[in-house]
Amino acid sequence: METYYPDLKSLEEKNRFYKKLLFQSPDLIFQFTISNSGKLSFSFLSKSVVTHFNLTSEEKNEDAFFVLKRKIIPDDFNAFLLSIHHCKNLLTPWTHEFRAMLPGKGLRWYKGIATVESTEDGDVDFYGKITDITQYKEQELRLKLSEERFQFALEASSEGIWDYDVKSQKVFYSSQSMKMLEFEEEDTIDSIDKWDDRVHSEDKERYLTDIRRHIDNTTPYYENAQRVLTKSGEYKWILSRGKIIERDTNGNPLRIIGTHTDISAQKEKEQELIKTVEIIGAQNSRLLNFAHIVSHNLRSHSGNIGMLLNMIADENDAAFIEESFAHLRSSSNALSQTIDHLKELVEIQTELIHKKENLHLNTYLNKTLNILAEEISKNKVVIKNLIPKEETITFNPAYLESVLLNFTSNAIRYSHPDRTPVISYSLSASQTQKILEIKDNGLGINLERHGKKLFGMYKTFHKHQDSRGIGLFITKNQIEAMGGSVQVNSQVGVGTTFKIYFND
Amino acid sequence: MTKFKDVFVIDDDQIFHFIIRKLFAKNNIEVNPSFYLNGLEAIEEIQEKITHGLDLPDLILLDINMPIMDGWQFLDEFRKTRKRKPDEKTIIYLVSSSDSQSDINKAKEYQDQVKDYLFKPMTLDDLKKIF
Repeated sequence: METYYPDLKSLEEKNRFYKKLLFQSPDLIFQFTISNSGKLSFSFLSKSVVTHFNLTSEEKNEDAFFVLKRKIIPDDFNAFLLSIHHCKNLLTPWTHEFRAMLPGKGLRWYKGIATVESTEDGDVDFYGKITDITQYKEQELRLKLSEERFQFALEASSEGIWDYDVKSQKVFYSSQSMKMLEFEEEDTIDSIDKWDDRVHSEDKERYLTDIRRHIDNTTPYYENAQRVLTKSGEYKWILSRGKIIERDTNGNPLRIIGTHTDISAQKEKEQELIKTVEIIGAQNSRLLNFAHIVSHNLRSHSGNIGMLLNMIADENDAAFIEESFAHLRSSSNALSQTIDHLKELVEIQTELIHKKENLHLNTYLNKTLNILAEEISKNKVVIKNLIPKEETITFNPAYLESVLLNFTSNAIRYSHPDRTPVISYSLSASQTQKILEIKDNGLGINLERHGKKLFGMYKTFHKHQDSRGIGLFITKNQIEAMGGSVQVNSQVGVGTTFKIYFND
Repeated sequence: MTKFKDVFVIDDDQIFHFIIRKLFAKNNIEVNPSFYLNGLEAIEEIQEKITHGLDLPDLILLDINMPIMDGWQFLDEFRKTRKRKPDEKTIIYLVSSSDSQSDINKAKEYQDQVKDYLFKPMTLDDLKKIF
């Protein structure tokens, strides 16, 4: 059934019905004609049209061209004429939007639609209706403005946008998000796996947990900082935040929208800060330890000296006095050595500006080996220098001498009695650091037992003149004062490897 | 003036050994002292004694800061070892140059084993207190 007609009997009844329908309808219904000669006239206007456009009875009979010209604003009038003539010529349905200025109503937007038919005389009739679309147009404009504002805010803040359609597992990424990953700067739709695969393995569990917690409504929104692999193969720290904006009737998420922010620079600073705090903390605890040791050693040596002097005072036995003097001498030496160490350490800690220079590593190594030449030949030590000839490092010259001397003399002193001592030196580089490796095949150190105390001057308590601990302690402090670090690997009976990290 | 016979002096400072020996002689402390440079040397000797059914020392003068095995480690080992000779009483004094609060506090944790904490240098009063 195409159309529904009421069951009307007489022609008169039918006429009354149609008349009522047309005239009384709240819709703005019209018929106008463009005659063969091009004249425009209204053939029919519903009551609502007359009221809406405030048409006088004169206007109803006037040439429609002038009426329209008065009502439609000048900017839109030509386009209006063009559109009706276009439909008149092609006899295609008419649709057109235009603005009119009405007294009391102001500027309004309208949309006209009509079917177009030609008569036998060559006139063309337009049957249709007009709709006031002002409200819709205003909304459209507001939306457009807010979209533009949003787009501008996004571009200005350099935040990326993502929009995840859970059902299809597809994500929309804005051009800024793509730019962060160093891909072509354009909006992209991709499967969720592609991003997930780029998240650093160490961050993945936390990332998935954070999303899960938001899906389960534990958190009001999702937030996670993650390392994401860029196109060039580097990781960037990206802060991803989002919120579910649509769920199905079972509460399962349908759509999640969020942002991406590149926080790499912040993270880098954060890491630097943590590292600095760690170094300072370690330095502080070592200094505290050092203060105890110094106090211990000073008391110990001075106590011995006092006791020996008392004993000599009321003693006549020449042999005993002689032995006491020998002990006095070694106590006195130990005391001044402790004071020297103290002085050396205080110098490292208090010198605020540590002079750094570009140093030719092999020159310094050769100098060290010359100083130790006698020991090296006495112990038949084999030296393997694998450091490339021209290598340089940025360090304090006095500290570099001290570092090389300390590690090398230790390697000789703690060589294994059953085999030829071999000490090898090599240098490797990471992006920000150079790593000097000093490896020996000596006695090795039980790191499980002494590891924690190795640089903490445990061995200083060893009252031997040549204790390893104080040297390592001072060396470590010198390296750290230069922003570097030191690591040890060792196996008892096999050998020891020290790795010194220089910040370049 | 002595109530002790076998005395162990465990200290890595050989000058301290020399001084103690002289102090004993000068003050007529007739004991039989044995000297060890670290805890391990001493604990090995004690284990040896137990294995051969010999008596444990009556008195131990124990330093804290020593290489290889320090005083605390020695006390831990000795606690385990002496279980094999439960009826023997060994008196232990800590003798150290350390005046750090952490060492003094730690000594309190060992008070079931340690009779007192003496600071170096040892005085005649200290000796009188012990013997």
